[in-house]
Amino acid sequence: MKKILLAVFMSLCIAAPVFALDGNEMLKKVDRNLNPDSYELYRKLINIEPDGSKKEFVMYAVKKGKEKMASVFLSPASEKDRSTLRIGENMWLYIPNVGKPIRITSLQSVTGGVFNNADIMRLDYSAEYDCEKVEETDKGYILHLKAKTNAVAYDRVKMWVHSESLLPDKTECFASSGMLIKTLYFKKVQDFGGGIVRPAVIETDSPLHQGYKSVMIFAKMKAKDLSDEVFTLNYLSKINELR
Amino acid sequence: MNSGSSFFFLLVIGLFLLLSCNLQAADDEFIFELDEIEKKPLEWGGYAELKFEHLDINQGAALTRLNFTGEPPTTIDRFSPSLQIGGSYVTGITSFNWLLKAAGQQDNFGWIDFADIYEAYGRVKPTDQATIDLGKQAYKWGKGYAWNPVGFINRPKDPNDPQEALEGYITGELDLIKSFANLGSLHNIALTTVLLPVYDGINDDFGAEDNINLATKLYLLYLDTDIDFIFYTGNSRSSRFGADFSRNITTNFEIHGEAAYLSSEKKLTLLQDGETRLEGDEVFRTLLGLRYLTDNDLTAIIEYYYNGNGYSEDERARFYRRVADGAIQLDNLGNDSLLHQARELSLRGYGKPFVGRNYLYARFTLKEPFNILYFTPGLTAIVNLDDQSASFTPELAYTGFTNWEMRLRFSLLTGGSFTEYGEKQTSNKVELRLRWFF
Repeated sequence: MKKILLAVFMSLCIAAPVFALDGNEMLKKVDRNLNPDSYELYRKLINIEPDGSKKEFVMYAVKKGKEKMASVFLSPASEKDRSTLRIGENMWLYIPNVGKPIRITSLQSVTGGVFNNADIMRLDYSAEYDCEKVEETDKGYILHLKAKTNAVAYDRVKMWVHSESLLPDKTECFASSGMLIKTLYFKKVQDFGGGIVRPAVIETDSPLHQGYKSVMIFAKMKAKDLSDEVFTLNYLSKINELR
Repeated sequence: MNSGSSFFFLLVIGLFLLLSCNLQAADDEFIFELDEIEKKPLEWGGYAELKFEHLDINQGAALTRLNFTGEPPTTIDRFSPSLQIGGSYVTGITSFNWLLKAAGQQDNFGWIDFADIYEAYGRVKPTDQATIDLGKQAYKWGKGYAWNPVGFINRPKDPNDPQEALEGYITGELDLIKSFANLGSLHNIALTTVLLPVYDGINDDFGAEDNINLATKLYLLYLDTDIDFIFYTGNSRSSRFGADFSRNITTNFEIHGEAAYLSSEKKLTLLQDGETRLEGDEVFRTLLGLRYLTDNDLTAIIEYYYNGNGYSEDERARFYRRVADGAIQLDNLGNDSLLHQARELSLRGYGKPFVGRNYLYARFTLKEPFNILYFTPGLTAIVNLDDQSASFTPELAYTGFTNWEMRLRFSLLTGGSFTEYGEKQTSNKVELRLRWFF
């Protein structure tokens, strides 16, 4: 009897971390595993057309807290120094020739291709979504996420999370109509140093863009202390000076 | 094959070779070399542009009569190469930034060219909260796409090409920013203060000389709304103040507006008896606009502009009639006194762009229709609401080849006699623009 009780107790102890994590807590852990609270990184975006031709964009980005992010294009030359700022659901684009920030929406794309502004300027998932349901699978969990407001780019997201690393393998993004907008695949988990171990590549495809694919490659992600003033319109033309 | 055809043939071959290189690179693996992101103290870039234009001249129009002393041509073919180079050199908290522009123009009348320093200024940024700039710098204050009533120290922009760089003024600027981390109603606040001197050889096209002018802009991000309060004082121009705002109502619907009050602005008016009157009066200008993105990626930008100091429909019709009378006088009597007076009036007011009272601007662009990536067709319309004359500009733009931008435009100007667009020099225009960024 003692052995049976011990076995039950042991199995409860083992299972405890799983059931102790509700979906929203798990989502917060996924966020922290994907990136530190405040950081800088470099990203390359590659848009691939059905005939295999590619267009590449390189950008530098900084993020602070749950709701502030800014980025600047380093190449190609036609996009150089274009900067984007996001504070919550407010988003602005600065084009050097235009000389002033213009409000843009998260559904548009400053680069063209399958990634839109919400993907490129992504905030923490937990800042934008509530987890309504957690489903267990062989490899981990599926988090069923619902947008907190109708200002969020995707109304619902299904996220496949690896049980050991608590990193996403795949996300499916849906419109409020239930239509699948795109699928993101998280690949090539890499140690960036400073305790940051996360996928270095995100690929995406979309039934709305048959045959097209976009890839995002991450490099030199590291924690960075940033002042709040960096995330303002007046600073937007100076983001490149943070590098 | 004549020289023009040879040039065009070589251009097409060159483009084809360049695009072929672009496609051959498609089989490469995904590579992110760290030297791609290495920061260098000296950075520079820009674009080279070739523009071809074919203009049909509106033979009977008032501005044609004023701009050509002899028989006007029926068409003008124009070739305009240009080069824009910008860059910066950064060391520690200081940097030096520049923007240079050179352009030429070959048409029926010969060759002209210019080279200018659009911007050249030093910057000191001791903290993220403060920046000091000194030198020549362009200002583009205001939220409007086509017009900026509160752009008190802006150069006027071309609403058909509002994204083009403009020449700056020599100024000293202090920019202070304060942000609030707790994301309450007030997210951040910024104060920009600009000193703009006007002396012989320094900003002397801004206004009256031997003055130092002050312009300030107080920016607030309050309740998710961008708000600016803008103030200008100085003896080069009359004092003026205004405010603007921009806000997203939903993720795909933005509204913006501007309102400006000018304590006095001079206006030269042609009176019914043929005399002219120059008088100053207070002026109110406003702009209201929206930007809307539909489910199928059609972006609409619509703006209404009220120019309180603009010429009424009757005032402009009187001027156009005076030009017509002047042309008859010249043809019948060989006397150009009326045309001479009209040219003076044109230079000092009537011939300037957007001097009417009420305008509507509408621009529609459709992103990547039929799944053609980087392809954007568009249509821009500018309507003088007082006389219902207008310009319509459909366009096709393609940016699919890295660092190349191609744009084909057709502009059609419509309007009856004695209306703004009916009396413009050009009745329609075809424009092909090729840009290569480096």
